[in-house]
Amino acid sequence: MTAESRPSSGASRHLLPASGAKALLQIRHVSKFFGGLAANSDVSFDVNEAEIVGLIGPNGAGKTTLFNCIVGYYPPSKGEVIFDGRRMNGLQPDKICKLGMARTWQKVRPLTNLSVLDNVVVGALRRTNSVQEARAHAHEQLRVVGLDAKASLLAGALPIGERKKLEVARVLATRPKMLLLDEVMGGLNPAESEEIIQLILDIRKKGITQMVIEHDMKAIMRMSDRIVVLSSGEKLAEGAPKEIVENPQVVEAYLGAEE
Amino acid sequence: MKRSLPVALLVLAAAALAVLPKFVESTYVLHMMILIFINVIVGSSWNILGGYTGQYSVGHAAYFGVGAYTTMILMQFKHVAPWWGVWAGTGVAVITALVIGSICFRLRGPYFVLASIAVAEIFRVCALNLKDLTNGAEGILVTDIPPLMIGKTQITDWVSKVPFYYTGLSFMVLIIAVSALVRRSKLGYYFQAIREDQDAAHSLGINPTIYKNTALVISAVFTSLAGSLYGVYVGFIDPSTVLALDLSVQIVMICIIGGIGTISGPVVGAALLVPLSEALRSNAITDALIKAGLVNAESKVGGFLKENLAHAHVLIYGILVVVVILFMPEGVLGFFRKFSALAPRQRGEGGRRPGEGR
Amino acid sequence: MQALISGILIGGVYALIGVGLTIIFGVMRVINFAHGELLMLGMYATYYLFTLAHVDPFLSIVVTMPLMFLFGALLQKTVINRVLNALPQNQILLTIGLGLIMSNTIMLAFTSDYKILSTTYSSSSVTVGGISISLPLVISFAITAAITMALYWFLLKTDTGQAIRATAQDREAARLMGINVKWMSILAFGLGSALAATAGALISPTYYIFPQVGSVFTLKAFVITVLGGMGSVIGATLGGVLIGVAESVGGVYFGAGWKEVVVFVLFLLVLLFKPSGLLGKSRT
Repeated sequence: MTAESRPSSGASRHLLPASGAKALLQIRHVSKFFGGLAANSDVSFDVNEAEIVGLIGPNGAGKTTLFNCIVGYYPPSKGEVIFDGRRMNGLQPDKICKLGMARTWQKVRPLTNLSVLDNVVVGALRRTNSVQEARAHAHEQLRVVGLDAKASLLAGALPIGERKKLEVARVLATRPKMLLLDEVMGGLNPAESEEIIQLILDIRKKGITQMVIEHDMKAIMRMSDRIVVLSSGEKLAEGAPKEIVENPQVVEAYLGAEE
Repeated sequence: MKRSLPVALLVLAAAALAVLPKFVESTYVLHMMILIFINVIVGSSWNILGGYTGQYSVGHAAYFGVGAYTTMILMQFKHVAPWWGVWAGTGVAVITALVIGSICFRLRGPYFVLASIAVAEIFRVCALNLKDLTNGAEGILVTDIPPLMIGKTQITDWVSKVPFYYTGLSFMVLIIAVSALVRRSKLGYYFQAIREDQDAAHSLGINPTIYKNTALVISAVFTSLAGSLYGVYVGFIDPSTVLALDLSVQIVMICIIGGIGTISGPVVGAALLVPLSEALRSNAITDALIKAGLVNAESKVGGFLKENLAHAHVLIYGILVVVVILFMPEGVLGFFRKFSALAPRQRGEGGRRPGEGR
Repeated sequence: MQALISGILIGGVYALIGVGLTIIFGVMRVINFAHGELLMLGMYATYYLFTLAHVDPFLSIVVTMPLMFLFGALLQKTVINRVLNALPQNQILLTIGLGLIMSNTIMLAFTSDYKILSTTYSSSSVTVGGISISLPLVISFAITAAITMALYWFLLKTDTGQAIRATAQDREAARLMGINVKWMSILAFGLGSALAATAGALISPTYYIFPQVGSVFTLKAFVITVLGGMGSVIGATLGGVLIGVAESVGGVYFGAGWKEVVVFVLFLLVLLFKPSGLLGKSRT
């Protein structure tokens, strides 16, 4: 994976990948219907390697639905999801994880009766059959997120901020090429949010691609290389953070609903 | 994961069990030990599916019965020695497990429980009706177990209880070893991940169908071994003993009462329930009460106890289950562990007890 | 044809059992494995009222129903209430344990001997259009129909009934609206128990009475409620009749020994293809 150095957010970017930048994830005309309701409608965009793409939109815009389609929780009704050159439609979530795409959950899902370490070991076992190796790798990921000191506590004993970090450590342990983070800052205080932002930037340094759903606009502005805006299931806009924030349609869609 | 008992202690216990028949001649004690072994085996097997993987099958009698019937049918009708028959039994159990798994694992939680019961009941009714195969309600009676020979030397003629004791002991050691190995292995982690949150596990690269079926197959194999042993030892099987819902419930109870999801739980559960029910059955408790002078043998209470306590063991099971679930969700073992200073796990303010909701 | 008719008639009684179970599940989300034992208690109560006090089994419902309502309510308040938030598996095991306690206490008290309740009309039959139908079955069906209609009126027209339905639909919302959900649970369990026991009373002239008779009915009750949709009273009513017919007709085609298999296979098919049942809400 080439980890090109990218200009910090705020500089304008082309919509087509610049030469050398590989599109790792390609969303092509994805639609998802639930009964008669179109939760996603003809959404298309790319995510390039080692990029951070922010996915924003008002509540009900279809962001989590899109995530779920991408990671195989359910298949898209129409359109294609192409990851690393391979079509992902209809693949099961475990297969997709094996291919290098991992997700965190909007409502955090720790394995409550297992220890913090064991939670991450479960993730690490994706890439090795040796429990010993997995434990070592797990400790490493816990260090990255700053939870190694709590390795032997039960996951159920952690407060919400640390549960979110645990979830990140757990998916990192699966050695993903790409991470989908669903409102990983939801419910956190400013200090905790700051830690997560740093974490996400660190993850990018490792060359891991990320797509982040977030409501915290300041955070999105700081982290994202590009932003995709969804509204009522459709893609409203796509571009550099500065472009998005000045886009009148986007402002209208939010009606000033920034947190 | 909990730390295990020191290995030295385990080796000591195993050695003690191995030499027990040399020092104890009472056939009654041997009988109890064999029953305990069988119960530990079924409890530990269930634990792999129920305790580790979180799939509460209340239809495990299906595998017990399948093992028992295969071995007995082969022995009585086809004259196949039981030490070959048991392996045929496990083979049938594997196929049974895969079929049942393909039906039941599409369902979750209570619906899975209900399906597992329905499936086991179908097996029972089939055994009742397919008289040509199973003798129906009449059951199958053992007439002669062929002597076990190696070359020209006879190892045993199966008349005393001792060979059954050692068979049971070996099977039990085997399942406990397998349990312990699985627990520390990748399989064990994946099983528990599925128990804790199947969808989260799925997203972490775990295929729930493959692993649930793996757990079930392991569980079914050992349960069928226990069933085969039971059949040959007791000498008689029929659908109402080896394929009954009561048996399935009993299997679950051994784990619940002893402590679900632990290795020692089923051992404690069996060690508690078997002597208790035997003591009740044989009137030992009533006699003890009378001897202690607490109950007059001639009184109404005495007469009532003498006549009925023998049948009360299922009632006691029921009371135990209710008490354990209400007050000791971690089983008897967990209950005592909580009060001892050796409790290895830490709990924070947000901690939940194992067994409580997802 | 005869099988069809008797299937429908017994189906009515099955419906009562199913409705009781579905109300309990709807309001409390508890899977009550002791339901058959509640029915068994109803049978024994009816038997002893008959043999000791010479009360006709169908009339004794007037006593049995409220009695078992109170018993169920008490059971809920003291025991079941504690596991409302536990894992469903633990709830199931708890109710299994309670069922075992009930059946074995009865066994200790009254022995496992099969008891038969014979009234003067136990083996009488009525002939309609050339088909002979068992009289006790007809009376049961009539009473069941009456009770079912009363139940519907209660659930649809009275405040309490509507409160129960609201709680079943959304417990939290009901609580916010000021409904005392704790009372609703007690009521629901009491009601479910009363219905089960009444079903027991109704079939006591035609079935053997023994302590373990409950477990067969518990399983049937589950098949009925799953078929009709857990939580749906109408579904359980329909499901009961359907199962009654399936069993009866199945027994004719496949032989009496295979009746149960027909029901269980149906159960599995429903669980696999439409777990929310014919009319149910798909809440798991």
